[in-house]
Amino acid sequence: MNEHIVKAYEDELNMLTAECARMGGLTEAAVADALEAVVRRDQQMADSVVARDERLDVLQADIERKEIRMIALRQPLANDLRRTVAAMKIANNLERVGDLAKNIAKRTIVIIDSDPMVPLTRSIERMGRLVVTRLKEVLDAYTASDLERAMSVWSRDDEVDEHYNSLFRELLTYMMGDPRTITACAHLLFVAKNLERIGDHATNIAEIIHYEITGDEAIATARPKTDALQRP
Amino acid sequence: MPQPSQPLPLRPRRGFVAQPVVLTGLAGAGALVALVLASGAHLLLAVALAFALGAVTLIQARRARQEAGRLRAEVAQTHVEVAAGALTLPYTSVLNALPDPVMVISAHEPDDLTGRRFVMVNRAGRSVLKIQREAGLLVTAIRDPDVLEVVDEALFGGLEGEAVYESGGVQERIFRVYARPLGSASDGAQLALLVLHDETDIRRVERMRADFLANASHELRTPLASLSGFIETLRGHARGDEGARDRFLGIMHVQAERMSRLIDDLMSLSRIELNEHVRPLQDVDLAAALLDVVDALAPLARDKGVALEVEAPPRGEVTVTGDRDQVIQVAQNLVDNALKYSPSGARIRILLESGLSAEACVAPRMEQAARMSLLTPDHGPERFAALSVIDAGPGMDREHLPRLTERFYRVEGQKSGEKLGTGLGLAIVKHIMNRHRGGLAVESRPGHGAVFTAYFPLAHRRATAGDEAGTSSDDVIKLS
Repeated sequence: MNEHIVKAYEDELNMLTAECARMGGLTEAAVADALEAVVRRDQQMADSVVARDERLDVLQADIERKEIRMIALRQPLANDLRRTVAAMKIANNLERVGDLAKNIAKRTIVIIDSDPMVPLTRSIERMGRLVVTRLKEVLDAYTASDLERAMSVWSRDDEVDEHYNSLFRELLTYMMGDPRTITACAHLLFVAKNLERIGDHATNIAEIIHYEITGDEAIATARPKTDALQRP
Repeated sequence: MPQPSQPLPLRPRRGFVAQPVVLTGLAGAGALVALVLASGAHLLLAVALAFALGAVTLIQARRARQEAGRLRAEVAQTHVEVAAGALTLPYTSVLNALPDPVMVISAHEPDDLTGRRFVMVNRAGRSVLKIQREAGLLVTAIRDPDVLEVVDEALFGGLEGEAVYESGGVQERIFRVYARPLGSASDGAQLALLVLHDETDIRRVERMRADFLANASHELRTPLASLSGFIETLRGHARGDEGARDRFLGIMHVQAERMSRLIDDLMSLSRIELNEHVRPLQDVDLAAALLDVVDALAPLARDKGVALEVEAPPRGEVTVTGDRDQVIQVAQNLVDNALKYSPSGARIRILLESGLSAEACVAPRMEQAARMSLLTPDHGPERFAALSVIDAGPGMDREHLPRLTERFYRVEGQKSGEKLGTGLGLAIVKHIMNRHRGGLAVESRPGHGAVFTAYFPLAHRRATAGDEAGTSSDDVIKLS
């Protein structure tokens, strides 16, 4: 990275990355804890995830404010501008991920009311762990400015989709087999969908990193996509 | 570099782990004893094996703890010498030699996020946290909010704290993080020490015990129920019926064998899992291992009327880093699976290719097939040797692919012939491949067959000459 003549400018740019990374850490923990709440049927954990979401919202607003201030005062150009914009976009994505995690945690409270469905929660756990790993990898790539690692996350998006499709069918089978499980299964279906969307946000972040580092944004259209509704 | 003003705080003892382990063991013992009483002496052997497994895991955990204790003693020794002033020690080398990740953090203002920097990381820390530089922003190394909180408490509150840190990734590791205040540096910055202690193995043993009991008791119940049913019949109205007795004993024999196969597989799976983070170091001749496996399975293939076609470089050409027995087990399980699902008259192609990149290993080998990577190695510049087994069996629908390596998962509506599998074969393959830092991919097209590809990292001296070691049409051995 080029040195800036004004050191405060450099500090501010680093600050943005640091804030985003910290927000990333909180988001990762929220997703991991929401998942654990579902799998271990842990009401307390679910409540704590819901309570912590506000902090993410505050952080995101804070990052946005700092960005706007920075764009107004420093008028960053070229890669500095890309860094600034990327941080703002990533913060937005992370805030959405936080909301999805909160949603998962809220559903836990209903899911706990029904009898445990071990094979299903196990599938959810497997998919969830994959998504958590994905999110972690992409944030690692962001803090390390590692394009290659970001792209490896980007190109493997369909693994999460495959898990989602498989889980979708499993849930349908369960609901058909025993209508008493429909309430809990319907909520699990949303949990799975939320996880899948968190995976999509991870892919988005990978695209933002690609843009930040290379300045090329054409990549977004090139992603290999598996569609749940239209399969061979 | 600021020097720590006091000896490194070494972590408290961990005696507490052993107790839950022993208790779970006892609970399991109780359950298994009940099973024996309910069924009869035939099962004694199976249950004894289950106990042996418990003992093996316990012993290995203890050994790991002893090793950790020895290392700590060595470090403490170093400190004594330093304190005595007998010699001036290079602190950096001492810290770099420590097996646990250690990090010194400095900060000026509590509000200034960019101000929290790591100013020293030892070698273990750089490898675990994947950082290249000696110093940098703390959040670029660790983002975990719990860890950041205990760091803040140590920096600005002068408090000692602990947190749990999970490294994530395919080879996930779990650390207990200890934060200790180190006072202020000469420039007024606050300092704190962060020590990460690896607790992956301990947690793994605990989790495995719970899983083993849940899975095994469920899977053992089916053959067991059938055995006790037949015992009851033989003692009841079938007493004295010679024909029935022979037939029932035959069925009981099959069920007992199934149980013993299941226990064998469970035991080898747990052994592999325990060593999953210990990287194997032997050089293994993959081509030779494969040809041995094919030779061993040839009679079985002949009986079934299935042709085995091997396209592999000759022995000695492909050397991978691995554990020979486990490499053989991978080849054996994959070929065995293909045999189980192949109809009579079909052929199974077995390919061994060397010097491939990770992408080339998962390249399509079957047309119009659904593809899925079941295990992708963590990023590395390595070259791999890929073993593909291509069968012409019934194949599987796309939706089953992600779950194939799950324990006891069976594709609905498919039977692996009269010799029923245990549902653990692919789980074993996946864990072995993970231990070898390799990968596993599957392709399948319903009605046309399936391809399983396991790829191992090539041994290093071979890796450079890898490209020449690739398969050419001249060195293909045909076997059918």
